[in-house]
Amino acid sequence: MKISVIGAGYVGLTTAACLAEIGHSVRCADNDEGKLNLLRSGRMPFFETHLETIVQRNHAARTLQFEEVENAVKGAEAILICVGTPPLDNGDADLSAVANVARIVAKHATGHCLVIEKSTVPVKTGQQLKRQLQLYAGNRLQCDLASNPEFLREGTAIHDFFHPDRIVIGVDTEWAAAQLREMYRPILEQSFHCPVHPQCQHTPKPALIVTDTESSELIKHASNSFLAMKISFINMVADLCEATGANITKVAQGMGMDPRIGPAFLNPGIGFGGFCFPKDVQAFVRIASQAGCDFSLLKEVENINKRRIDRFVEKIRQELWVIAGRKLAVLGLAFKPNTDDVRFAPAIELIRALVRESAIVRAYDPQATEKAKAVLPNLDYCSSPYEASADTDAILLTTEWDEFRALDWERIRGLVARPLIIDGRNMFTPEEITAHGFHYISIGRQPAFSSDDEVFSRSKLGAALP
Amino acid sequence: MRVAVVGSGYVGLVAGACFADLGHTVLLVDNDQQKLAALKGGQVPIHEKFLPELLDRHRGQRLRFSEDLHAAVLESDVVFIAVGTPTTEQGEADLSYVESVATSIPSALNGYKVIVEKSTVPVYTSEWIRKIILRHAADPDSFDVASNPEFLREGSGVTDFLFPDRIVIGVDDERCVSVLRTLYAPLTDGSYYQRGDAIPRPDRAQIPPPLIVTSTKSAELIKHASNAFLAMKISFINAVASICEAVGADVQQVCQGIGSDRRIGHRFLNPGIGYGGSCFPKDLKAFRAVARECGYDFRLLDEVMHINEEQRQRFLRKVRSALWTLRGKRLAVLGLAFKGGTDDIRESPAIMLVETLLQEGCSISAYDPAAEVRAREVLPASVQFAENPYAAVRDADALLILTEWDEFAALDLERVHGAMKYPIVIDGRNLYDPESMAEQGFTYYSIGRSAATPEVRSSPSNVPPRAVENS
Repeated sequence: MKISVIGAGYVGLTTAACLAEIGHSVRCADNDEGKLNLLRSGRMPFFETHLETIVQRNHAARTLQFEEVENAVKGAEAILICVGTPPLDNGDADLSAVANVARIVAKHATGHCLVIEKSTVPVKTGQQLKRQLQLYAGNRLQCDLASNPEFLREGTAIHDFFHPDRIVIGVDTEWAAAQLREMYRPILEQSFHCPVHPQCQHTPKPALIVTDTESSELIKHASNSFLAMKISFINMVADLCEATGANITKVAQGMGMDPRIGPAFLNPGIGFGGFCFPKDVQAFVRIASQAGCDFSLLKEVENINKRRIDRFVEKIRQELWVIAGRKLAVLGLAFKPNTDDVRFAPAIELIRALVRESAIVRAYDPQATEKAKAVLPNLDYCSSPYEASADTDAILLTTEWDEFRALDWERIRGLVARPLIIDGRNMFTPEEITAHGFHYISIGRQPAFSSDDEVFSRSKLGAALP
Repeated sequence: MRVAVVGSGYVGLVAGACFADLGHTVLLVDNDQQKLAALKGGQVPIHEKFLPELLDRHRGQRLRFSEDLHAAVLESDVVFIAVGTPTTEQGEADLSYVESVATSIPSALNGYKVIVEKSTVPVYTSEWIRKIILRHAADPDSFDVASNPEFLREGSGVTDFLFPDRIVIGVDDERCVSVLRTLYAPLTDGSYYQRGDAIPRPDRAQIPPPLIVTSTKSAELIKHASNAFLAMKISFINAVASICEAVGADVQQVCQGIGSDRRIGHRFLNPGIGYGGSCFPKDLKAFRAVARECGYDFRLLDEVMHINEEQRQRFLRKVRSALWTLRGKRLAVLGLAFKGGTDDIRESPAIMLVETLLQEGCSISAYDPAAEVRAREVLPASVQFAENPYAAVRDADALLILTEWDEFAALDLERVHGAMKYPIVIDGRNLYDPESMAEQGFTYYSIGRSAATPEVRSSPSNVPPRAVENS
C-alpha cells in the first residue's frame, strides 16, 4: 500500500519505519525541515532500540522516504495522523496540529483515501476530523476515517509493533476495515521477516478488534489509565507494607499470581512518568468530566503518583537527616529504561526537589543525559556510574537500567563517602546489596543493613523471613 | 494430619471438606448446634458445586463435626480459625470471634500445634492471636501462629480450594512451615490430581499450584490487597461504562480492547450494577481501616466504593427513564444472588435494588435459581417468587436482569416477549446483544451501551459487524 505518515515524532517515525519494513511504500512527513534532513542523512532524532537499522535499511531501499506534508499526502491510499497532542494548561489535549493536518489532507490528498488517527486523542475527535475533512474538501475528495490507537511502549516499540497483544481499529465502513486489515495483514498473520529476533519464535497471532471510532478512542485512554491505576495501587500498598513491616515483593507476587490481576505493572517505585501515562490519565479525567461522569478514582491515581517523589525525599531525609550540602548520586534519568525520554520522568522531578533543598547532585544515565541537559542545564552530569558515585553520601537508583544490575559494587564501596543505597525501583534483593557492605533502603520493604552493622539492625519479628 | 477447623461458614465448611478429601482427619467445630445437627444429618447448608459430593464421601469418617472446641484442639496438630469477621459500624473487621477462639486454645496445648488464621483478617491479627495465647500462660514453644488466606470464590469454592492459583503461607517461624507444607503436599506435589476420584479439573488450572512462603503480615496484606484490587477493577470498568453511555461508545467493545492487553486481562472487566457479596464490600472497608490505622488515607478505595454505590443509583435512574413513573408498575426481577452460581445474597446489589423499587411502589415478581430461600428471609412478604423466569415475566411492565446466572443468558426470548405486558428489558449484567434484542422486538437497556429499540436502531446500518478476530 501507499501510506503516508504525518508526524516524525516517536509514534510517527516508528510506525512509518515498521510499515515500510513489512512491505509498504511509506512517506513520512513532518513540518520540521531540520528533522527531515537529519533523518535523510540516516540519523535519529531520539533513541529507540532497532529503530536506526530499520530506518536506514528502508530509506536506502526507497521504501521509506521523508517529505513535506503537502507532498506526502498526494496519492496516498492511507494517511496516518501521528502528530503531537500535548496537554493545554487546562488539561485538555491541544488538537491544533491534528486540525492542521486535516486541512492539508482536505486540500492536497487525491483519490479515495483512508485517514487514520493514530495520535492519542480524546473521544469524538474522529467525528470532528471527519467534519473538518468534509468542510474543507467538499466533494473533491472521497475519504473515510478510522481510529487506530497506538500501544507502542518506548524502549520496546519495535518489538511491540511486530508482536502486539491486539490491534484495535475503529471504523464506520467496511471499506475502511478492509484497508486496515490489508495494511496490518503481515502482523495479523505474523508473516514477516522479524527485525527484532533473528530466529523469531512463532508468536500468537494478535487479536484484531473492530469497533466504532468512539469505542476505539476510549480504549487507548482506558488502557493507559488502568495501568497507571495499577501502579498507584501497588505504590499505596507498598507504603502500607513499610508501615506494617510486610514485604511488598511478596505481596505483589501473591497478588500477581491471581490471573484476574496478573503480575505486570505491580512494581512499586517512585511513580509513573513519561509522556503517555500522566497525560492520558489527565485527559481521561477531562473526558469523563466533560461527559458528566465523575472519575475521582483517577484523580486519586494522580494524587498518589504526585506524592511518590515527596515520600522518596522523606526516605532520603530519614537516612541523611539534613539534605542540604549532601552529595547524592542519581543513577537513571529516563522515565524508564531503554529510552532517552525524560519527559515527566520521576528522576527529573526528584532532582529538582533535591536541588531545591540544596543537595549536591551528580547524575548518570546510559542514554538520557543529552535530553536531561535540556531541562536541567546546570546539573553535574557524569560519564559513568562510578564517576557519579565518587565521594557521595548516598546513591539513589531512579531508573531500572539493566546496566545498573551489573555494577561492580565492591568498586563503588571503595568510592563512596558513605555506603548507602536508596533504591526507588526495587532493583535488588536486600541481601545482594548488603553483602557488599551497603545499607539498603528500598520501597515497601524494611530497611536492610550490612552484616558488619548488626547493631543498627531494626529488624523485627519476622523480618528475617522474605 | 489431624486438622481442626473452627467455624463452619463458607470458608470453614469448604476447607474442612477439602482437607478431608486430601486425606487428612478433620474435625469441624461450630457452636451452632442446629447447623451441626443439619450437617451430621447429611444436609448441605450452602449452595456450592461439588460440596455435597465431598461431604457424602467423608462425613462420619475423615470429616466429623463437633461443638467442643477444647477437645478438638486437644486431638489436632493444626487448628484453622475460619470464624466470621463481620464489619463493625466503623468499617473495621470485628475480630471478637477470632479472639474468643484464641482464648480457648492455650488450655488445650498438649503438644506442639500450629494455629492458622484462615478468615480474612487485617494485618497484625496473627500477632494478636499469638499475644492472646501467650497471655494465657501458654508455652511459646508449644505453638506457632500462621496465616493462610483463603482465596476461594463462592459458587466455585471447592474447585478453587483444590485447584488454587497459589497457596500463600505466612509464618514468623520456620518451624511451622513444614507442617503447612505437609498439609498441602497432595496439591503441591500433584498427587491429588493423579487420583481417579479427584474433583474435575477446571480450565486454566495451574497444576501443581505454586506455594508462596512469606511473613504473616505479608500474607495478611496479600488477601486484602488482592480483593481490593479486584473491586477496583470492577469499579474502573463501571466508571468507563458510564463514559461510554455519555459518548455513545460500546463498553463491551472497550472491554475487549482493554482486556486483550496482557498486563490488564479480560477477567473482572464486567460492567454491571456493582460488586457485592460477603467479601469485597467487607474487605474493602477493612483494608481502608487498616490503612487509616497506619496513618494512610487510602482514598483510592473510597472512590472504588463510591463508584460501586453510584452504579446502583445509575441503574435506578435507568429504570426510571425507561418507565417514567414507578408507582404501581409490575417488574419482573431475574436474579437476587450477588453473583451467578451462589445462593449468597449478602450485600447483593440485586436485593438493594429490589428493596428500593418496592419503596417506590413497584410490585416485584422475582426468580432466582438458588437464592430464593435466603431472599425470602430479608425481603418483605409483598415480593412474589416465581417458579421460573417465564412465570416471573408474566404481565410485567419491564424485566430487570440483576444476576449473571448462565440460564438468564439463554432465555427463550420469544416466550418472554409473549408473556410480558410491555417488552422492555433493563439488563444490569449485559447478558444480551442490544441489536439482536431490538430485532426480537424488545426495548433493551444495558450498561455502558446505547439503548436499543425495535423501531430505531442504535447505530446506522452501514456499520460493519463488530468483531474480535484471531482470538
